[in-house]
Amino acid sequence: MSTTLETSRGRGEPPAPPPPPPPSQPPSGALRRSADWARRAPLLPALVFTIIVTQLPFVVTLIVSFMDWNAYYPDERGFAGLSNYASVLTDVNMRRAIWVTVVLTVVVVLVSLLLGMGIALLLDRKFAGRGVVRTMMITPFLIVPVAAALLWKHALFNPEYGLLNGTLTWIWSLFGSDNPPQPDWITQAPLISVEIALIWQWTPFMMLILLAGLQSRPLDVIEAARIDGASTWQIFRYMTFPHLRRYLELGGLLGSIYIVQNFDAVFTITSGGLGTANLPYVIYQTFYQAHDYGRASAAGVVVVIATIAIATLALRTVSTLFQEENAR
Amino acid sequence: MASVTYDRASRIYPGSEKPAVDSLDLQIADGEFLVLVGPSGCGKSTSLRMLAGLEDVDRGDILIGDRKVTNLKSKDRDIAMVFQSYALYPHMTVGENMGFALKIAGKGKDEIATRVAEAAKILDLEEFLDRKPKALSGGQRQRVAMGRAIVRSPQVFLMDEPLSNLDAKLRVQTRTQIADLQRRLGTTTVYVTHDQVEAMTMGDRVAVLRSGLLEQCDTPLRLYQQPANVFVAGFIGSPGMNLAEFSIADGHAVLGSARLPLRTESLSALSAEGADRVVVGFRPEALDVVSENDPGSFPVDVVVVEELGSDAFLHGTLPELPEGADADARRVIARVDPAHPPVKGERLHLRIQTGKEHLFSPSTGRRLPA
Repeated sequence: MSTTLETSRGRGEPPAPPPPPPPSQPPSGALRRSADWARRAPLLPALVFTIIVTQLPFVVTLIVSFMDWNAYYPDERGFAGLSNYASVLTDVNMRRAIWVTVVLTVVVVLVSLLLGMGIALLLDRKFAGRGVVRTMMITPFLIVPVAAALLWKHALFNPEYGLLNGTLTWIWSLFGSDNPPQPDWITQAPLISVEIALIWQWTPFMMLILLAGLQSRPLDVIEAARIDGASTWQIFRYMTFPHLRRYLELGGLLGSIYIVQNFDAVFTITSGGLGTANLPYVIYQTFYQAHDYGRASAAGVVVVIATIAIATLALRTVSTLFQEENAR
Repeated sequence: MASVTYDRASRIYPGSEKPAVDSLDLQIADGEFLVLVGPSGCGKSTSLRMLAGLEDVDRGDILIGDRKVTNLKSKDRDIAMVFQSYALYPHMTVGENMGFALKIAGKGKDEIATRVAEAAKILDLEEFLDRKPKALSGGQRQRVAMGRAIVRSPQVFLMDEPLSNLDAKLRVQTRTQIADLQRRLGTTTVYVTHDQVEAMTMGDRVAVLRSGLLEQCDTPLRLYQQPANVFVAGFIGSPGMNLAEFSIADGHAVLGSARLPLRTESLSALSAEGADRVVVGFRPEALDVVSENDPGSFPVDVVVVEELGSDAFLHGTLPELPEGADADARRVIARVDPAHPPVKGERLHLRIQTGKEHLFSPSTGRRLPA
């Protein structure tokens, strides 16, 4: 950026503006309009189809969210005003679901960011088999969410045949004990179990973003800091961490968008029981079990609004990131 | 402040047989401005980075003062470095950039502020202290990088091509500023550049490197007047020295119709080597335009004339040599009177001023007594 600035200043004169395009005679209004439509018309079916598929469902949801509409009471269908929204925000279950969603999102995002940063720092150096290790570190993110949740529920957490309790048995047997503790993980710590499964899946994503950030660190700045007397920790504190800030924000916001909407893990591991029901799960329950379409729609709209708020922030972060890259 | 000593220091990059810097022996006196110069890949930056502690020293030692720093970390060497890219800390203001080293060293806020303000005053940066590097021009960034080095009052300044990102005019200006600043502060300075004009104008002494080997280290003037070998002769000076291989016939060096009398010392040195040829070098300003009949003159066809106002340089070819001969050997550059420049296509006769030729051995490239 600075170089282009300088060179143009160095040359003194700005380059001559390109010659104006040859003037073309604009056709008369009606003719031009019909020509425009001749070009647009073939695209219309695709546009209409896209609107029907993507926008109409949302509009219908929006309308339904203002209606009394419960499949068990077909006669009471009608306009309800804001009462669905009021019940979403006042109902104890819904409020609890909102709280669970917040806790789940914050814990999963923060812990996976921390773990991801640690792993990224470890992987950001040369060692034999680096490519293989990196690929393996990414695989949890590539697994289908339901499969990952099933894996944790049955292969790891299960108190009878799960790997965790199996490991405990093995360790205790090393010390000659045949009475190892066999906790029922999901029952005793339901929300934490869901969080662990999600953290396992999201850490690679954070690691990828932070590794990209680490690798875009200017090397000479690090060397300058070393010569200025900074220790390894001080270089991390004063150089690496400020550089990673935007990448941390990006990872945090993208992760939040997805985890606010998470359904697979909650549905598979606890089915929303034991106080783990988050908003998407409660919407599912209200819709498919209570058949209260109006209320489910209202809750859905709330989730959409929350997600849009987070997404706007995320996109803003991304765009400042690009601006910084260009400004460099 | 301290002297710097490279004691047979070598650097061999992993996976390479050949050292990037090969047994470098160099003593830099306290307060001296030493310039390391050479073509790219000659090991000059590596030598500097070895002194900075950014590259390992595989063999030999490096001393700052009497202290052996070969295995010390950069932060324990008490040096400051100016990078080619400046390497300013992008998220810190100019003031924070300059004060960073002091902050790390645990100095108090007041002391940092006064020392930064002093340096900013010297470098004319006072009004920019609260700006981020992004909002500065190239020349200002360069000054911040200098300021970051000055603030620490280190024992040695290291500068790695600090001017190469500036435009030509600013480079000339900053060149004198840096040299002046160094003389005022009196800090030992090692300066790396590929630009021989920078080397000649700034350094107390200049060390010329090629392929990791030190070719010659001397004052700029002695490098110019008494180059130790063909490489230094061709590298120092702009436009470069004319170099051509002459044959030897009855006490004269002969190329076409050019005949150059050789002294007995030169002849005996050549015969001791068993050479029947000699490399003759002469600078563009050591040539006179003479008439055709003048003894020792040789004809030159003018190809291009560069008129610089104060000087004019004639680029010509020797017509007497066969076309197949090495194109470089046929080329001659001469400084001519700018008031009466020759015309392109003209044939002139030139003669080398007596005693202004340099003789080099054709086999070793070393300087011979002339």
